Amino acid sequence: MASKTLLVAQREYLENIRTKTFWIGILAFPVLIAISIGAGFVLNKLKETKSYAVVDLSADGLGARIEKQARSADMVALARLLAKNESLTAELAAMREHLGPDLANLQAPGDKKEPPAVPADVQDRLHALLQAMPANDFAAMVKQQQALATAKKFQFRSLQDLGVADLPPAEQQTRLAQQVKAGTLFAYFVVGADATKSLEDFRYVSNNFTDDSVRTWYGAAATRVVQELRIAAAGIPRDVADRLKEEVRFVEKQADATGATKDVTVADKAGSFAPVAFVYLLWIAVFTAAQMLLTNTVEEKSNRIIEVLLSSVSPGQLMAGKIWGIGATGMTLTLSWVLCGLGGLWLASVLIPDADLSVFASVKDPLYLASFVVYFLLGYLLFAAILVGLGSVTNSLKEAQNLLQPVFILLIVPLVSMMFIVQEPNGVVAKVLSYVPLFTPFTMMNRAGGPPEVYEYVITTILLVASVWIAFRLAGKIFRVGVLMTGNPPKLKEIFGWLRHG
Amino acid sequence: MEHALELHGVTKRFGSFTAVADLSLTVPQGCIYGFLGQNGAGKTTAIRMVMSIFHPDAGRISVLGHADAAEVKDRLGYLPEEKGLYKKMKTAEIVAYFGKLKGMDSSTANLRARELLTRYGLGDWLDKKCEAMSKGMGQKVQVLGTIIHEPELVILDEPFSGLDPVNRDLMRDLILDMKRAGRTVIFSTHGMEHAEQLCDYVMMIHKSRLQFAGTLAQIRKGRDHGIQLDYDGDGSVLRQLPGVARLNDNGKSAAIFLQPGQDPQQALRWLVDRVTVRRFDYREPSLHEVFVRTVEEANQKLAAAGQER
Repeated sequence: MASKTLLVAQREYLENIRTKTFWIGILAFPVLIAISIGAGFVLNKLKETKSYAVVDLSADGLGARIEKQARSADMVALARLLAKNESLTAELAAMREHLGPDLANLQAPGDKKEPPAVPADVQDRLHALLQAMPANDFAAMVKQQQALATAKKFQFRSLQDLGVADLPPAEQQTRLAQQVKAGTLFAYFVVGADATKSLEDFRYVSNNFTDDSVRTWYGAAATRVVQELRIAAAGIPRDVADRLKEEVRFVEKQADATGATKDVTVADKAGSFAPVAFVYLLWIAVFTAAQMLLTNTVEEKSNRIIEVLLSSVSPGQLMAGKIWGIGATGMTLTLSWVLCGLGGLWLASVLIPDADLSVFASVKDPLYLASFVVYFLLGYLLFAAILVGLGSVTNSLKEAQNLLQPVFILLIVPLVSMMFIVQEPNGVVAKVLSYVPLFTPFTMMNRAGGPPEVYEYVITTILLVASVWIAFRLAGKIFRVGVLMTGNPPKLKEIFGWLRHG
Repeated sequence: MEHALELHGVTKRFGSFTAVADLSLTVPQGCIYGFLGQNGAGKTTAIRMVMSIFHPDAGRISVLGHADAAEVKDRLGYLPEEKGLYKKMKTAEIVAYFGKLKGMDSSTANLRARELLTRYGLGDWLDKKCEAMSKGMGQKVQVLGTIIHEPELVILDEPFSGLDPVNRDLMRDLILDMKRAGRTVIFSTHGMEHAEQLCDYVMMIHKSRLQFAGTLAQIRKGRDHGIQLDYDGDGSVLRQLPGVARLNDNGKSAAIFLQPGQDPQQALRWLVDRVTVRRFDYREPSLHEVFVRTVEEANQKLAAAGQER
């Protein structure tokens, strides 16, 4: 008798596995994810360099100092690159030659976590060298060098370059405003006359209000410069000033059972967020498989093959065969995705040897993967029983979709509650949802960062298994009668009748 | 001889609607048995109960000597009225699959599926998908799926519907082949000519009640003889034939029933003067006629019963 169930399951499985759409589905998901990640990178790279100009009203060249400060990150990166002295282009090699001994200190093997500071004068000299470069050479170099991150994003246009250098400031601003309006210039800044006294005449003029990056970046540099100016003006000693500027930083630690504390690693942080990824995956897997089952049942019912099958197998065998066959399909789908993910990680670790992949440590945890498989099966079985029951009383997919809406609303709950549960894995919401069998698989996966107590695992699993069993019994009764019904879908009252007498 | 199928007082209700009422019937082994009745009369429900797809509310069914048809499912073949195939499966695969569901082992089923398909003219279609086939071909594949496991009792619900004449003959041969092989075949049909040609026994259900059951001879016995007339000319005069009781005019042919005591010779004489008679046959009524008369009589009885109440 059981072998007939197996035959039905085998047929369902093979039929799904053999279709092209199934394999497209398997591939599409990881490919889409890869594309969306890749697209992020590409879009970032494709972002146009934004050009800006600065009208400096100050008497002491504040604008130039701000510019230097703004570029210091680039200069530090460039100096470190030169210090490494590996595969430099001809231009860079010449630059290194020029700086010579100044770079010697940087070569000293320091602590890896804290690379040696790049002295201000080295930064200044590099800055000067870069500014002296012909514009075309500089543009070419920016394209090639990863180190020049801000140069890639923001381009400084001098007033000479824009042909307004000799005009009075008011006239300069009018001309620059015209260029901004015409779109040839992204923005221009006006640096005030006396920053030590007032910042009122500082301006940022642009017609793009959504992209704030130039203003933020330039503003941060300006703040640092003005701070220094004011400290000097007030005559505050250097060491006092540094202490005043110091930020309070709480060092993150975690507690263990003995009462001791230890450092928080990236892997620890990722470990508590990994459940989110897995809940998503679980959700998509359960949803996809259950949906497949529904479509299959409705189709089979509407193309009338069910009655032929029922002359050979019992309705119970048919239903079980379908659920297992499509469950196996869903499992294949999900495991393929997990394998794709692991393969992707392995590929990443080969391609980028330095990359810190400890983030994904929990993904490789066999216990976690096993619990994923178990929760997939139980979650799928529960929803499968519900959907096969629904599917058997409807005559078309359209009807089925209508009946499905309440189920979908239920399915949204684990998604909505996901972030709350990650933040509070042992909170009230998490605990309550754990005991609702429909949500148990998702919630318990979600709480893995907690982790929940052993007794919670035991009780929720017992509840879940019991619900699966009951759902199967009820669905079987509905399926037996519903699957041969045609015409109007039965009323709720009739279905209750089947449940009582079936 | 043991009966292939026995029904005793079988009743099936769906809510307040009675689909089959108090049906008793015996089908001897090795015969061809026709189930007749209008659409919705209860034939399919009766068949589904035999196949244990439905359970009767009252009465008892014995299939191949077993009280529970589920026990002998593998010895039965069933072709439902609504016929479907898995569109994406290849024809040989699906026929073999039906065999395997009936307990055949995989290799035998595969082999026999290919052999059957080839024998019944589908040799070129073995590895093609079902969705590519015409309706008639699909129906043939289904019938082969029904009989691949050499069932002792085959039940075909409307096997002739939707088939062209060539395939109808093929279906007829298939049914006769099965009879010759000693199997019992039950089929339901609207086509009286098929029942007349093929069946050893027929039964008829009307509005969920059994009207008659027996051999064709038994059923025709005691019914009025009628005139089978093939003619050319204006058929409207036929109604004026003296002593006519009932007339069933098809335009080129007609069935005429005379009132008791009327002489068919006189009727022939009268007809010859008015239309061109090509054939004149005075004989027992056709199954078609019996069917129509039975429906009328049953409806009159029901109406009368309704008035009394």
